[in-house]
Amino acid sequence: MHNPGPWKVLLVAALFVGPMAYAADQQPAGEQVIQPQLDRRDVKVLHIPSNDFEFGLFTGDYNTEYFGVDLVGGARLGYHITEDFFAEAVYGDTRVTDEVFRQILPGGVFRNVKERLSYYELSAGINVLPGELFFWKHTARPCALYLIAGLGSTKFLDKRHLTANAGFGVRVWLANWAALQVDMRDHIFSLDVLGQQRSTQNLEFSGGVTFFF
Amino acid sequence: MQDELSFVTARLLTTVRLLTWIVAIALASGWVPASAVEQVQVTDPYIELRTGPGRGYPIFYVAERNEWIEIRLRHTDWFLVRTAKGKEGWVKREQLETTLTQIGTKTTFRDILLDDYLRRRLEFGSAYGHFKSEPMLKVWMSYNLTDTLAVEATGGQVQGVFSGTDLWHLNLMVQPWPDWRLAPFFGLGFGKLTNIPNASLVGAITSDAKLADATIGMRFHLTDRFIARLDYTQYVAYIADNRTDQYRAITIGLGFFF
Repeated sequence: MHNPGPWKVLLVAALFVGPMAYAADQQPAGEQVIQPQLDRRDVKVLHIPSNDFEFGLFTGDYNTEYFGVDLVGGARLGYHITEDFFAEAVYGDTRVTDEVFRQILPGGVFRNVKERLSYYELSAGINVLPGELFFWKHTARPCALYLIAGLGSTKFLDKRHLTANAGFGVRVWLANWAALQVDMRDHIFSLDVLGQQRSTQNLEFSGGVTFFF
Repeated sequence: MQDELSFVTARLLTTVRLLTWIVAIALASGWVPASAVEQVQVTDPYIELRTGPGRGYPIFYVAERNEWIEIRLRHTDWFLVRTAKGKEGWVKREQLETTLTQIGTKTTFRDILLDDYLRRRLEFGSAYGHFKSEPMLKVWMSYNLTDTLAVEATGGQVQGVFSGTDLWHLNLMVQPWPDWRLAPFFGLGFGKLTNIPNASLVGAITSDAKLADATIGMRFHLTDRFIARLDYTQYVAYIADNRTDQYRAITIGLGFFF
């Protein structure tokens, strides 16, 4: 078997290292390798505050099917993704009474006369019909109708029910950071309190204030 | 009576504390307008000022080329500007794209591009589907550590006929081809599950279990900031020392990213 002598290895090594050492010798220390042909440009990144998030409080009427209307209160947190679309998380709380049934059923339907109903929902909305709303002669404020739908959960009588919601509302800006909001929503969930599992339509009408941040 | 009173007081206190937090967070996140206002010079022939942040609101004023304007606020793709003459209105980003700053250089307004999708960090979304043939609702938040690696937190609720289930899990997600518009991903994680039987069932007890999960799915970049997602998840719940349960879940959801 042919074995290269050590002098051959040295020769090959010298061939590779030679030019590199030569190049390094040519370059005096501290001088710029490349002379820039372009001026350095200052790019300014603007810092502009934004208010795409909203937080709102609302109150109104919640109509539980079979059981009547009661006061509802809640909070909403939203994010405006584009000028058309927004996402919203909402939590609402109301009391439901079975007083109507207690007239003919002395024991009632619920354990207590008043039971708590709370819901949370995640919805997507779309702004339609943007325009201006006139307060008297000289004051106009931007407003928009929105359509909204989503899914969530209703907790009623210690049981959770998958809830779909759909509705519409109007938002009127009072300032760049605050708006008035009127909302009409249908919450659809299935209930078996009266013996049979049935889908119920629960309408909610509410009004509130929304702050943008 | 005393009990009820103290209960009401406690609730009131909690509400006040919550409101204080909300106000504090709102203040911290720039609800109060910043004092330093950005000034730019118009380079388009003219820009249109609208009364509201949207294409449907009327144009009430026009600012001409070379006019200096202050940019005060942004709402989605719209900017609230104030002209030298004191007119304040909303302008769409496209019209401000070529404006110049005080030192004469270009500003950096630009569209949500594919670049932003590729460089996204935070993603939020919610999904609906089936968990063991029962309806499931879940929300997720994911944070991209690198192009291909992400951590994801998921919270979900299953609403069955006989019981409801709450669950959460943390996953490590791998997306081998992040630059594809329709991109597959895989994930592994752990979490917890709580099964709450309906009140009408006799003798049923609430049970907790640790959870492991494996996910496979597809993410589709719809447009702008939106993505759609299809997930298939296999859950293993460690019910007792010598018993595990398996559940399959398939969900479809919508999300958006920053």
